[in-house]
Amino acid sequence: MAKQEPPPSPPSPTASFYDMSDDEEDDYNTIKHAKSGRGVKLLFSKSKVYVHPSPSSKDNIPGFIALIQQKSPAQTSANRPTSSSSSKTIASSSLLLAWVPESSLGDAYDTYVKVDLSDSDSPPKQKYLVPPPPTTTSHSSAVGTYAFAVPISEVFSLLVRPPSLGWWFGSVVINTRAGDSFPALFFHDSECQSTILQRKKLARESFDISSDGGGMFWGGDEVLRWLKRYVTVERSGVDNTVYLIEPSNADKVGFGGKPASPEPGQSVPEAPAGAAKSSAGGAPFPSRRDGGMDPVTKALKEARWNFLEKLSQVTTFTRRTAQAVAENPKMPPQMRRLMRNPEVQTIQEEFDSARLYLARWAMGIAEQSERERSQRIWTAKDVLEMEESEVGDFEILDMEVGNMSMADKRKPVMMDEWEKWFDMSGRLQITPDEVKDRIFHGGLDPEDGVRKEAWLFLLGVYEWNTSRDERQVKMNSLRDEYIRLKGAWWERTAEGHVTLEENEWWKEQKMRIEKDVHRTDRHIPLFAGEDIPHPDPDSPFAESGTNVHMEQMKDMLLTYNEYNKDLGYVQGMSDLLAPIYAVMQDDAVAFWAFVGFMERMERNFLRDQSGMRRQLLTLDHLVQLVDPKLYLHLQKAESTNFFFFFRMLLVWYKREFEWLDVLRLWECLWTDWLSSNFHLFIALAILEKHRNVIMDHLQHFDEVLKYVNELSNTIDLQSTLIRAESLFRRFQRMVEAIDKRSNFPAPSVRQRKPTPASPTESNANGASSGADAAPQPKRQSVGDAVAQGIGLEKQKIISPELRSLLSRKVEKLDKAELKEHGGGVT
Amino acid sequence: MASRKKVLLKVIILGDSGVGKTSLMNQYVNKKFSASYKATIGADFLTKEVLVDDRLVTMQLWDTAGQERFQSLGVAFYRGADCCVLVYDVNNSKSFDTLDSWRDEFLIQASPMDPESFPFVVLGNKIDVEEGRRTVSTKKANTFCQAKGGIPYFETSAKEAINVEQAFETIARQALAQEESTDFNSEFPETIPIDIPNDSNGCSC
Ligand SMILES: Nc1nc2c(ncn2[C@@H]2O[C@H](COP(=O)(O)OP(=O)(O)OP(=O)(O)O)[C@@H](O)[C@H]2O)c(=O)[nH]1
Ligand SMILES: [Mg+2]
Repeated sequence: MAKQEPPPSPPSPTASFYDMSDDEEDDYNTIKHAKSGRGVKLLFSKSKVYVHPSPSSKDNIPGFIALIQQKSPAQTSANRPTSSSSSKTIASSSLLLAWVPESSLGDAYDTYVKVDLSDSDSPPKQKYLVPPPPTTTSHSSAVGTYAFAVPISEVFSLLVRPPSLGWWFGSVVINTRAGDSFPALFFHDSECQSTILQRKKLARESFDISSDGGGMFWGGDEVLRWLKRYVTVERSGVDNTVYLIEPSNADKVGFGGKPASPEPGQSVPEAPAGAAKSSAGGAPFPSRRDGGMDPVTKALKEARWNFLEKLSQVTTFTRRTAQAVAENPKMPPQMRRLMRNPEVQTIQEEFDSARLYLARWAMGIAEQSERERSQRIWTAKDVLEMEESEVGDFEILDMEVGNMSMADKRKPVMMDEWEKWFDMSGRLQITPDEVKDRIFHGGLDPEDGVRKEAWLFLLGVYEWNTSRDERQVKMNSLRDEYIRLKGAWWERTAEGHVTLEENEWWKEQKMRIEKDVHRTDRHIPLFAGEDIPHPDPDSPFAESGTNVHMEQMKDMLLTYNEYNKDLGYVQGMSDLLAPIYAVMQDDAVAFWAFVGFMERMERNFLRDQSGMRRQLLTLDHLVQLVDPKLYLHLQKAESTNFFFFFRMLLVWYKREFEWLDVLRLWECLWTDWLSSNFHLFIALAILEKHRNVIMDHLQHFDEVLKYVNELSNTIDLQSTLIRAESLFRRFQRMVEAIDKRSNFPAPSVRQRKPTPASPTESNANGASSGADAAPQPKRQSVGDAVAQGIGLEKQKIISPELRSLLSRKVEKLDKAELKEHGGGVT
Repeated sequence: MASRKKVLLKVIILGDSGVGKTSLMNQYVNKKFSASYKATIGADFLTKEVLVDDRLVTMQLWDTAGQERFQSLGVAFYRGADCCVLVYDVNNSKSFDTLDSWRDEFLIQASPMDPESFPFVVLGNKIDVEEGRRTVSTKKANTFCQAKGGIPYFETSAKEAINVEQAFETIARQALAQEESTDFNSEFPETIPIDIPNDSNGCSC
């Protein structure tokens, strides 16, 4: 990892030359910039570093990141140190880390280019002076121009995110000691001459495959390298994307060094599992990114990265591109094979599928790299910093809520933690909200049986304020009731039904359930077997056989059909029952948990589909409000019916996530912690994640539908949950700001302080009352641009559908409504 | 992009839940049958390139959920269809009885230019199941198809891959004929304008 380390000290001739001449401040004022009388010394610069002020790449602003030396106020040429054996004697307050847009440079542009291209191993032999950029210590004072120059002494840390296998640009975010963050700087390495040259050079020099050479080198590495010449840069052991600048001892204790002992499931700063063990385990700077990777994996990754970088430059996938790519000898064989695959070849010829295919594939690789990354626990910061937040600045959720860190909160609740929440009599000692908060963020342990217990609360089978004995009594009567209900239809199968019509309906429903259960989650071992003979010789499955769990499923669904005759069994319900049964493995208990779930899901299954229509409409409003550009694109693609989310909304992503993720997602949604319709924010999060691909590649309804359908089993849950939470906060604040504006026409003031309770405006509108309103944890925000951004939302209005999203109260159908629209037998 | 005209044929497959729509489509496109396809929720499609009399065409086969109530939202993609396939299960009379209402519903929602001549194809599926279970005879099905103006009829098995190729060949032929007969309306431009924001006639859906 040579280039992460400070450059080797003497005896390198370059280093000694550098030490002796370059940082001497003699002749400081000999070369003056033409226009300004005063100049600052440009030590390093790098070109094609962009600010992305809006979702559109058209708005990207190219500029230079630069390291600048100004005369220290306390230091004159008279009393400067004469023998600077180390460059670090330059006071960090006299060094500025700056970003300047190309367009603002005027004559100085050439100087910036020259410094950028000068051999970076030794700083420029000549002193280059440029006009001083405006010095700032906080982002807000630089709003408007984006340009900034911050004294290094004011920099607390850098958030460094390397390019992600060709999908994201590498980026650096500067955090100041005052707690402010500057806009992310994105390194467009493929446009940057100096980076290209440095890459080539590194590739030539690094024969040793174990060194970090060639392909993965990027502009941000250079920045760290310059900085390390002048100041102490220490990588945080807590979060390996954070580099602390001149950390104090207290900082080191708080953020630096290595985590004491990583517990299972805790942040692991090393390479993904499956990679070779890192040799740098005990080093103060843990090996970076791919340090722990074996050479083959690494080579493959790098090739893939280069390849994708090329690919991402073509907007339309032509046959020629594919051919060229396939012929490239550098291409890993796997990739070459893929490109020659007849299926792929056919697809290239097909005008509509080509775009779709490219989109899917590019995204697939991005997803894969994300999965590799997600070997560790995600924090909000990880997700939001990793993704170029295309809908504008995301809000970073508070890292410290109550007395539990966010990282701790995102760990699953284990049985012993759960049990500690109850007193001797089995009564909850903490508030239900505290429990929900925990489960919303961390989920429940999948293995230790805590779900069996906790789900019954989440699904309303048990009241939160009951004692163990009370729950026992309740369960006993529920068991009796289940047996009674089951007996009722059982008897009638023997004796026949009252009316012919009812008889028909009944037979049909039984058939439907039979067919669906045999098509539900058969890949789960519990439901896979066909080890017992089918009890009904007339069943189409009589020959293949069945198993006891499928039979239980059928009984429960028929009992539900009996229990809720207004609706009856509708396709999709078997998908909702299977996970509950698999967790409970007790038919009576599972049945009542399912009944609880169905109370909120009933609206999805109405004969007239009014519940589904309403949710799709709400999603329509939500996208329109939060991401109008994407909305416009979907409109052009005739996709604003949002039908492509139908399946996800109907059975709550059951078909999109893997089994264990579904369990985790559902328990999160059952908490209603932020919104009883949080599932719509999951939809929004999925859409936002893919919005670039959709906007770049998909132009018709069928393409969008196909693309979204095929996301099935590729979506990373944890990052989706975090993105959804962030989008919810953003939405919430937009609504607040819009309400505020319509109530008081006064200019909106940026609010940076924690909001202790939900403001009353939203309550005044009736959709959410005190207890239902989503809690608002204190927060910090990057750039706080959400509040600013909504300055543009003047014309926006909040529909009743949108407002209902702020409520935590589950909307349930009343009996009359259900009778009218249910489409059951009654 | 090929300079010659690309033909996209849009085919809608309808029929009661569980008759085997998804299975048939997968048998035709992917040449396999799996007993564990899930019940269809929402809609999806598969595409397949086929030669019809030396013409290379792309078939887009749309699969929807069978339970009636789910149709109401899905009608959006009936429009622009070139052929409609009605599937029933030969071992389930009810699924045969509903064919007529599937047909009517389609004609209302898709509102083709000339409903009288719009091509349908009927498939009686699951003929692999033992004879004793069969409840709809070939004769009965043929009579129905004749009465509806001579709809082509095939008896198929998605499971055993019986008659599936043949049926879809006819479907493709019917769809292509329909497509050509409505060609003047230029349902599809010569090439898809990739850079130009598409206007309403660029989308077949
Ligand atoms: N024996 C036999 N079984 C079949 C055949 N085709 C489908 N099946 C079975 O019938 C059941 C339903 O098949 P699907 O293809 O899922 O039916 P579908 O029409 O798509 O149903 P929906 O998606 O609910 O509308 C499954 O259990 C299949 O395995 C066939 O040709 N022979
Ligand atoms: Mg199906």
